Amino acid sequence: MMGFKLSRGDGLVWLLAATLLAGLYTAFWQADGHGAEAVVLVNGKRWARLDLFHNQDLEVPGPLGHSHIQVRDGQARFVDSPCPNKLCVHTGWLSQGGEVAICLPNKVSLQILASDPRFDAINF
Amino acid sequence: MIITVTRFFLFFVVIFLAACERQPAAYHEQLLVFGTVVDVQLWGVEPKQGQQAVARLAEDFDYMHNTWHAWHPGPLGRVNELLATGQPFSAPPSILPLIERGTELSRRSGGLFNPAIGKLIALWGFASDDPPKGPPPSDAAIRAIVDQHPSMTDIRRDGIQIQAQNPALKLDFGAFAKGYAVDRAIEVLRELGINNAVVNAGGDLRAIGRHGERPWRVGIRHPREAGILASVEVQGDESVFTSGDYERYFDWQGKRYDHIIDPRTGYPAQGLSSVTVFSQLADLADAAATALFVAGPEEKNWLPVARAMGISGAILVDDTGNIQITPGIRERLYFEPRGDSQLPPEVQLSAPL
Repeated sequence: MMGFKLSRGDGLVWLLAATLLAGLYTAFWQADGHGAEAVVLVNGKRWARLDLFHNQDLEVPGPLGHSHIQVRDGQARFVDSPCPNKLCVHTGWLSQGGEVAICLPNKVSLQILASDPRFDAINF
Repeated sequence: MIITVTRFFLFFVVIFLAACERQPAAYHEQLLVFGTVVDVQLWGVEPKQGQQAVARLAEDFDYMHNTWHAWHPGPLGRVNELLATGQPFSAPPSILPLIERGTELSRRSGGLFNPAIGKLIALWGFASDDPPKGPPPSDAAIRAIVDQHPSMTDIRRDGIQIQAQNPALKLDFGAFAKGYAVDRAIEVLRELGINNAVVNAGGDLRAIGRHGERPWRVGIRHPREAGILASVEVQGDESVFTSGDYERYFDWQGKRYDHIIDPRTGYPAQGLSSVTVFSQLADLADAAATALFVAGPEEKNWLPVARAMGISGAILVDDTGNIQITPGIRERLYFEPRGDSQLPPEVQLSAPL
């Protein structure tokens, strides 16, 4: 590397580039398994994609009526659903990629998305 | 000098981009078939190939659902009507393999898994689209069926001709049809050249191959609390099936009656909250989960059944929350941190299988 000398400016550029790269890697590629988004399906078809950090309440229409889905601080859950056993409600809060709650009678499902999900499948 | 720096920079850009290249990735679809949600994940397929494969599975699941349904009118309903006559008749080819496999699995379970107790299941009201509301059936009505000991060995077979030799016999494949269907789905995927897949039918699944560079990861839901109890990485080709008292049940006068009927007593099996079974074949895992649930929480009762059926592992959670695990599975489980507690729950290791 004859005549190769980093000026202070060059160094700063390299530093910024390296920081940016590290930041991008963490943001897009690191697999912490925690999902930032969820998907709501009705009858197997996508009904909504939810940002888990945008707190909201949704009334999702299914064949039996409305399923109430709640999003709070990176988690989502069924609050109520017009089904007899309330398995979907008892599933509780979901936050890990791959976690899923389903209201079968009302044909509504809620699943946490992640680029590298913590779970590929849930057994229950 | 500028050229050197540019070369140097380009070299790194190329290296980083190469590292970031995405594989022909996962294909994921949810089907509302077979009376449940079937979640299909494929790895290493083009989207079009994935779509075609899943469409084929959806058709197959629909066919199997209609053919084997225990209380909707269809082939199994007709078989039950003809069995009730006590006369020999030609069994439809769609039902014969289930009778054969069901008989074999029932024999291995010592009769604790028993697809011949359709009358008991109907008597309890579980042969219905809606969960029963109670009251439980009378002791006399239960006894009237149990005392006749309906069993798969009461079906006499000659070629494709079958005949029931017990009027109390009624077929209900509910305790293993899902597993059988999942096995058929995996077979179809392999025929289509897909060797990395998870077919998850309402929480009961079989996984083959891998998710790219890593194994498939399965979370096992806690039977009593919200959230995941433990997770496991699937090895090559493996099924994970759970039978739980929370799936179908009714409460009557403060007591819970679940849908897993003990063929010996005619009453819902007592003592366990859930049984998770590991084995290669899904139909075996499905039947064994029921058999172990019926055997109950005592190791001296369930372990011989597990051994006779030839499963590779089991997790049993009793109704007070105690957890028993077979040693081979314990080594592979990762207990998820739960709530305030970062400690794994206390578990009891059983004798090896």
